[in-house]
Amino acid sequence: MLKSWIANLGRLRLIVQLLMLFLTVYGGIFVGSYTADKLSNSLPALSCAYDQMNGGYCTLIRYQHNLHHSVGMVIARTGEVTVAMIVPLLILLASFFAFFFVLGKAFCGWVCPLGTLQEFVGRIGRRFGIGVRRVEPGDLGPVSRVRPVKWLILVGMVFLLPLLAGLGVVSHSLGNPFCDTCPSRIATTLLTGNADQLALNMGDGWSFGLGAVANWLIGFMIVGALALRLPFCRICPLLAFNSLFQRLSLARLSKPSRANCGNCRICTDACPMDIPEISQAEGKKAYNEDCTLCGRCAEYCPQDGVVSIKWANITVFRSNREYYKTRVRGELPDGTVKLPAKGKNDA
Amino acid sequence: MRSILVFALLFGMTGLLWAQHDEHRQPTGERGSGRGSGGRGGWTAQPLLLLERGDERASTTLRVRGPKVPSVTVFGPAGGEQEFQLVDGRAKIQVANTGIGNYHWLQVRDEKEQHVGVATTVWYSSLAGPSPRRLLETRHSELEIVPTPLPREHANYRESEKWRFMVRYEGQPLAEQRLLLETENGSRSAFVTDAQGVATVLFPRDFAGKPGRSGHGPRPRAGFVLSTEHVVGERHFVTTFNTVYGEDIDRGRSLGWGAAFGVFGMLSALPLLRRRKRSENKEQSC
Repeated sequence: MLKSWIANLGRLRLIVQLLMLFLTVYGGIFVGSYTADKLSNSLPALSCAYDQMNGGYCTLIRYQHNLHHSVGMVIARTGEVTVAMIVPLLILLASFFAFFFVLGKAFCGWVCPLGTLQEFVGRIGRRFGIGVRRVEPGDLGPVSRVRPVKWLILVGMVFLLPLLAGLGVVSHSLGNPFCDTCPSRIATTLLTGNADQLALNMGDGWSFGLGAVANWLIGFMIVGALALRLPFCRICPLLAFNSLFQRLSLARLSKPSRANCGNCRICTDACPMDIPEISQAEGKKAYNEDCTLCGRCAEYCPQDGVVSIKWANITVFRSNREYYKTRVRGELPDGTVKLPAKGKNDA
Repeated sequence: MRSILVFALLFGMTGLLWAQHDEHRQPTGERGSGRGSGGRGGWTAQPLLLLERGDERASTTLRVRGPKVPSVTVFGPAGGEQEFQLVDGRAKIQVANTGIGNYHWLQVRDEKEQHVGVATTVWYSSLAGPSPRRLLETRHSELEIVPTPLPREHANYRESEKWRFMVRYEGQPLAEQRLLLETENGSRSAFVTDAQGVATVLFPRDFAGKPGRSGHGPRPRAGFVLSTEHVVGERHFVTTFNTVYGEDIDRGRSLGWGAAFGVFGMLSALPLLRRRKRSENKEQSC
């Protein structure tokens, strides 16, 4: 029974994602409603603090608030930069890393509720035969063009603007600009039956503008994810932040130099982030900044032992030709579900 | 493409530097005295514990309106209590020497012969500390009004919302107990506790016509007080709980505009769906 439920790594990931979606959106039912009760306020996943029922929330809001209130505003008031301002930031970084050290970027591929929702929309798209659009030369352009956006958002909207707002250089409406534009804020609160975050603040131009961007993004994501896999993840600053530390985590993707890698590109086809390096490179370069550790590249590699997911020195999953043959019978690398042909089973 | 993005960011930052600089606001729920004010207090005959806004995370100033009492008792979230002397009805409240933050329970007691008056409020310190679960479970006086739960960080009591309050006597829930709500905006309403001693209080929508939020400044807030009384033998207990509630978050917000931008986003993504049909023969082998 259990074996049929968890027939492959993809099914296991789906089950974990659904459990994590429940925990990150409704987990407050179990862990308690107060902030101090939460699993953490430093999760490396877009579990939104505006969701009053969540079980733990995203680290990005704390960086923005810290830089706005505890650093920028204090510097503006006292004119001094002190160690006492930096220590809370370091503690915040340490608490984030305590989680990240264990699971690494699996927080993106296995835990993040927004990633799960996008994948769910994508599954609907595949079910209705909507072809996958790829970010690659000849379709939407090279993936390298999109990559800098997440870094710009991380530096500009998570770190710089909150600090400048605290210092009084820019409007205080820009105190937590990333959260104001984050589609997870709208998606996860809507899942709790709360439409407050969907409504735009008409009070001032910045709040209205940032909120409008968030609403545009959630609209784009709902339709765009039918054809383009994980559209928001490609510009997510948390993916960028996580990738800063990906080499320090115990969980990682491994593709050592292998003579039997035929560069067939199936792993890139299977990758929901369209990472070309996984098929074209090896070693550290193969574990790209965009990787979410979903494991699909390892699942869809038809060669034995070329790609693997590792935790410390333990191989959690490694590519396997027999596994690939079974896997591809049910689902194509791009996520298209293969329906059994009529009469074929009768033969 | 990368250079265009960098240029766009720099251009955007230049614009931001010229942006209108709104007033510095007290971050609600982030600083020490984000909650627990109540204005001037002339709107009710009940005693009020009023907290003044400030920048300190570890301290606040309390003003007692009503009973002439010598001190206020502060119960910390990790247990323990501290007594602060009132001078001209005021006291500077500080977290315990441990530096533990989160919610604190503030209480003054005015006992005269057979009358026992207890006024309570909560103070939120944004220093890290345990959740107020234990604080609220602990019995602090004979007759109590206990929020179940208190608003967590990033939340507040707001008009049009329903919040639950338990009435306890000697630590036991008191069923069918009348609870009176009075607000600084002039509303009065009464609620009755159920068999579990819990009353679901609907905060009246009474901010209409009040000055609204300015820019990114704090949302308008007003004081409220809940009161209940109970007679046991010759003794007459009156207990109050007061703090603040805010205007409905929907005031000054537009769901219509929000939905419009959502639909705009959907329409923007439509071209992604048009080009291809489901690809055939994806199955490959090396």
